[in-house]
Amino acid sequence: MLPRAAFLLTFVWALAHATSASSQVAAPAVAPAPPSEVRAWLLRIHDAASRRNFQGTFVVTGGGNVASARIAHFHDGPNQYERIESLDGRQRKVFRHNDVVHTLWPVSRVALIEQRGMLSSFPALLQAGEDGIADWYEVRAEGSERVAGHEANVLAIRARDGLRYGYRLWSERISGLLLRAEIVGERGEVLETSAFSDVVIGIRPQPESVLLAMRKLDGYRVVRPVLTPTRLEAEGWAMRQLAPGFRAVSCVSRQIEAPSEAAGEAAAPPVIQSIYSDGLTYVSVFIEPFRAERHAKPMFAVMGATSTLAQRQGDWWVTVVGDTPPATLRIFAAALERRKP
Amino acid sequence: MTLGDFDERAKEGLSALVDGEVDRAGSAASCAAWAADDRLRADWHAWHLIGDVLRSEDLAADPRDDRRLCEAIRARLQSEPLVFAPAKSGLHFGAMRAASADAGRRLGARPGRGRWGAGGAVAAGVVLVAGTFALLRPDDIAAPDRLASTAQPVTTPAVAAARSPGAESATPPLTLVADGKLIRDSRLDRYLEAHKQFAGTSALGVPSAFLRSATLDSAAR
Repeated sequence: MLPRAAFLLTFVWALAHATSASSQVAAPAVAPAPPSEVRAWLLRIHDAASRRNFQGTFVVTGGGNVASARIAHFHDGPNQYERIESLDGRQRKVFRHNDVVHTLWPVSRVALIEQRGMLSSFPALLQAGEDGIADWYEVRAEGSERVAGHEANVLAIRARDGLRYGYRLWSERISGLLLRAEIVGERGEVLETSAFSDVVIGIRPQPESVLLAMRKLDGYRVVRPVLTPTRLEAEGWAMRQLAPGFRAVSCVSRQIEAPSEAAGEAAAPPVIQSIYSDGLTYVSVFIEPFRAERHAKPMFAVMGATSTLAQRQGDWWVTVVGDTPPATLRIFAAALERRKP
Repeated sequence: MTLGDFDERAKEGLSALVDGEVDRAGSAASCAAWAADDRLRADWHAWHLIGDVLRSEDLAADPRDDRRLCEAIRARLQSEPLVFAPAKSGLHFGAMRAASADAGRRLGARPGRGRWGAGGAVAAGVVLVAGTFALLRPDDIAAPDRLASTAQPVTTPAVAAARSPGAESATPPLTLVADGKLIRDSRLDRYLEAHKQFAGTSALGVPSAFLRSATLDSAAR
């Protein structure tokens, strides 16, 4: 049951050097964890996020922005329910029942209904041990700290190369719930922080409060974006190479429209969105026909941990978005190749 | 043989099992007894708890936590994908380990050696890693301070990344839209939104990442 073989070396080393080892159950830090251990930690965090009932206030800070939201999450057997209400800026409510997500803008009376079928694909990869996360990230436990009134175990996840950011994660000691996460740049600078400022874990589930709200759409203009699964090759494109560690996880053909403007606009040509992931972070490559009136200048933007690169490629306009250093986006942009005229 | 004798023998078997001193047949018999008898089960828990508390008072957890954990593991096992194909056996281990790591931590059901093994690794890491992380990790400021101060460092990498010579030469001259506030182009917002729909599927946990995008998104508007 234990990753004994992987631990063996460290264990022997520890015996020789640390006489007080046996009196310490939670010391401030450990050696890099073996892949199985990394997987176990991430799975625990993942499970806690889906299988716990909790409610709290969540604050995201990054790129000069601070935004907070109220969240309640319930689970009831295999079903998951979630209610998120933004507390800053434009009023917005998100309700989720399993992979159906309703986003409501009460002021403009717009409701966006989405089917997020991919929500469960990652745990499967993790469980199968096919994630490869440990190849690209080094994970260490860093003892415990107090976050939002709870004791949390701290995990430091360091990128092994310059193509991805690192993370520090605070996972609640008993439930494993992720209480706080920092995205850390190459020089150790914090690019983005998301954290509960307060959270109650183990509340009574009230799935009805979510379901009821999801049924009440009177007076809302309902927008249902259509995502058609496709393959990059089928669309006449190819990726010559992927950034190391990344793999293709999905490819869809879709409309990219802000829901509030969808009605007033002529139907834009569909955009291909190809998604790549290294297990912890994502890169999206958007491809669409070049239109001079829309795609004036090549563009590069960084907001918090999210970078965006947009440029013309022949008759096409390519936009690469990812929570990665800009170098990763450039690899994707440069490797994209038109195979069909 | 009286009922008392039987109890004593079952207890002895269980005690040996706790100490890791029984063979395969003995452990099967003890586990069967354990599963059938509430009192034995209580003993099993109590002995482990005693052992745990002797080692560390932190481990004197509320026994209801154990029950909840067992229930959670049972529920989890039921919802687990079927993984009987030999080629995929890694999957099974991964899942088992996730459950067992949790179980070990809270039930004390792991053999002691495992725990000290981890403890040893913990201590080893202290020595090995302390230097590295002194560099990597910002000082231990209180949470609100760090939250408030993040706006500051964020601007630096953005500008640095855009201006570094490598960045310029790799692609045609790019317009730096800059950090944060200037992403007002609604077109760009849409790409971000479309991207973040998928960012919710990260290994870090569905609601956390999902939540991050939901929260951030409202800031971008």
